[in-house]
Amino acid sequence: MKASTFIGLCLAGVSLSILSACSNSAPTTTTSSAPSSASPASADHAGMSHAKKININNALLSQLDKLEAKLGIPSLSNKIQSSRPYAKSEELVSKNVINQAQFDQIKDMVTIEEIALTGEAKDLDYMVKLGLMKGHMYVAKELLNLGKPDQAEPHIGHPVEEIYADVEDQLKERGVKEFKTSLMALQELVKAGAKDKAKVNAEFDTSMKAIDGAIAVLPEAQRKSPEFVIQVMNGLLDTANSEYGAAIADGKIKEAIEYQDSRGFVAYSNELYKGISSQIAAKSPDTGKKISVALKELTLNWPTPVPPAAPVKPTEEVSKLIKEIETSGQAIK
Amino acid sequence: MSQPIPAFWNRRKIIQAGIGASLGIGGAAIAWSQRQSLISPQAAVKVPSTVPMHHGDRNHGSSISPTDMLRDFDRGTVTQENGRTVREFKLVAQSGELQLDKGNKFITWNLNGRVPAPTLRANEGDRIRIVFQNKGGHAHSLHFHGDHPANMDGIKPVRNGQVFIYEFDAKPFGVHLYHCHVAPVTRHIGKGLYGMFIVDPPTPRPLADELVLIMAGYDVNGDDKNELYAFNGIPHYYMHNPIAIQQDQLIRLYVLNMIELDIAATFHLHANLFTVNQTGRSPTVGSYETDVITMGTAERHILEFKYHETGKFMFHPHQDFMAEAGCMGYFDVIANA
Repeated sequence: MKASTFIGLCLAGVSLSILSACSNSAPTTTTSSAPSSASPASADHAGMSHAKKININNALLSQLDKLEAKLGIPSLSNKIQSSRPYAKSEELVSKNVINQAQFDQIKDMVTIEEIALTGEAKDLDYMVKLGLMKGHMYVAKELLNLGKPDQAEPHIGHPVEEIYADVEDQLKERGVKEFKTSLMALQELVKAGAKDKAKVNAEFDTSMKAIDGAIAVLPEAQRKSPEFVIQVMNGLLDTANSEYGAAIADGKIKEAIEYQDSRGFVAYSNELYKGISSQIAAKSPDTGKKISVALKELTLNWPTPVPPAAPVKPTEEVSKLIKEIETSGQAIK
Repeated sequence: MSQPIPAFWNRRKIIQAGIGASLGIGGAAIAWSQRQSLISPQAAVKVPSTVPMHHGDRNHGSSISPTDMLRDFDRGTVTQENGRTVREFKLVAQSGELQLDKGNKFITWNLNGRVPAPTLRANEGDRIRIVFQNKGGHAHSLHFHGDHPANMDGIKPVRNGQVFIYEFDAKPFGVHLYHCHVAPVTRHIGKGLYGMFIVDPPTPRPLADELVLIMAGYDVNGDDKNELYAFNGIPHYYMHNPIAIQQDQLIRLYVLNMIELDIAATFHLHANLFTVNQTGRSPTVGSYETDVITMGTAERHILEFKYHETGKFMFHPHQDFMAEAGCMGYFDVIANA
């Protein structure tokens, strides 16, 4: 890969990626000095030789399934995911994910370069980020209601500090009015001790409405699609899993912030699931039941906004439940 | 689950194994021997083996070894692309437990299981490629000091589960650092997401025993004050495991102050003076001599000295509360035969 090309592509500055740019099978020719996040959608339909490239570092399981289907290797998507990160596409071979002959069949479909997101992948990326914001806000609100602004503060901070910069371009592109100002105003009020409760509540509602408004720009069909929502849940629950692990040492909950973060993500996952559970139950009662049971059991691990001294279940059990939901969810197509 | 910090390759063991690579000890060992061959001139430097003053569990059960970290320079996987040297590094952010002392187990946010993160090293002008994977839960990023384009500045968060590849030229030569730049940065650095980045000048510096010392603070109870301090990750470590160095041999210390929550730390060396090469920006020698150098957070220098006297000599910040709370160690000067 040419260095200059890499920089050009990185200007897109996005993480989850499917290349839909005009692919004349030589990515090294797509050097550009301008931000390339807006790769023309029309290129999608430009001709037969146009293959969508899959970023093997960041693609969702559902995108990797295209490789799995092409090569006919069971659970290849999961194998690709678990062998991340890749510095080069060829590492699929050197890391023994697939063999050289198999790689030759898919090498034109895969890349490690940052490429502009499109379609469902782009919507998912956007929705997961906003979902994480919602989770933070949920737990922040609980702590505010408990009269613990000091504990609420980091969770009001996280949407600004960790997420906003990562979703800002998409918000603009989708015509969503900026709400960083509102989030920061809320953070300042809470930092100062949340003394004027009415003012804090009003500012909180403004921020929450802004996040809901940002979510609402996604087409309703998308937001109510079980396949879409379950993938959003996976993104939230994966993050909850890592944060829950980072809260616990020596069988004790030592870091309240990470416990609370994960509580918020699980809470919002529950809300998301409510919106699709009847559809799933109608289509596949077995899958629906599996997910409902696992999700219910998972949620019991966050009994209160202020963490208990000891975890309800060991972290391994929490990871297992999350994995179960993810695996069951893969059946929803 | 917080993963225990994976075993850190014991450099001496691998060297002792000698033909470790051909015996198939594993990928890491092979990478090591390749790295060794790249710094073969350093083979002329005498590195006495360190003898712990007290036997027993001085790592407090943590599997990282500050002794190994001293001279562990990660030069990456080297390839040639379009006629230039590319050094590729893989850094994975995750969380893990680190036993700081008998009374404190700390949940770190670390890179590749290490606090501090690997010391990355390149020659000026090399192409650097960092494959960064975030498995830490929180969003993280890698911000390098030194020159690079805006889109490689590492201030954009990389959320959990994502990979971002940073790529830029190693310049200018000197001692730099890298760290997570997601707010609150104090917490992200305080948890362990920092490391040194050394860029060597076009003409190599004179032969010396080169050592990395990174000062850091630990806020173990979340009160925005540091309760413990350390060189290279573990408090008090070099008090119990003095750093063995050779009498009259040139020592080149790469020192970084990565202490958050305190304004500055004044590195002090006992019974000696060192030359200060500020940010390592002189290709040859330091600009002045002293035995105390005050460094703000993220400030770093090359300090050079030799010991003619043998025996044990302390080093520590002269903010003595920091020293006594763990940021203190010994050099053990071994006599020439």
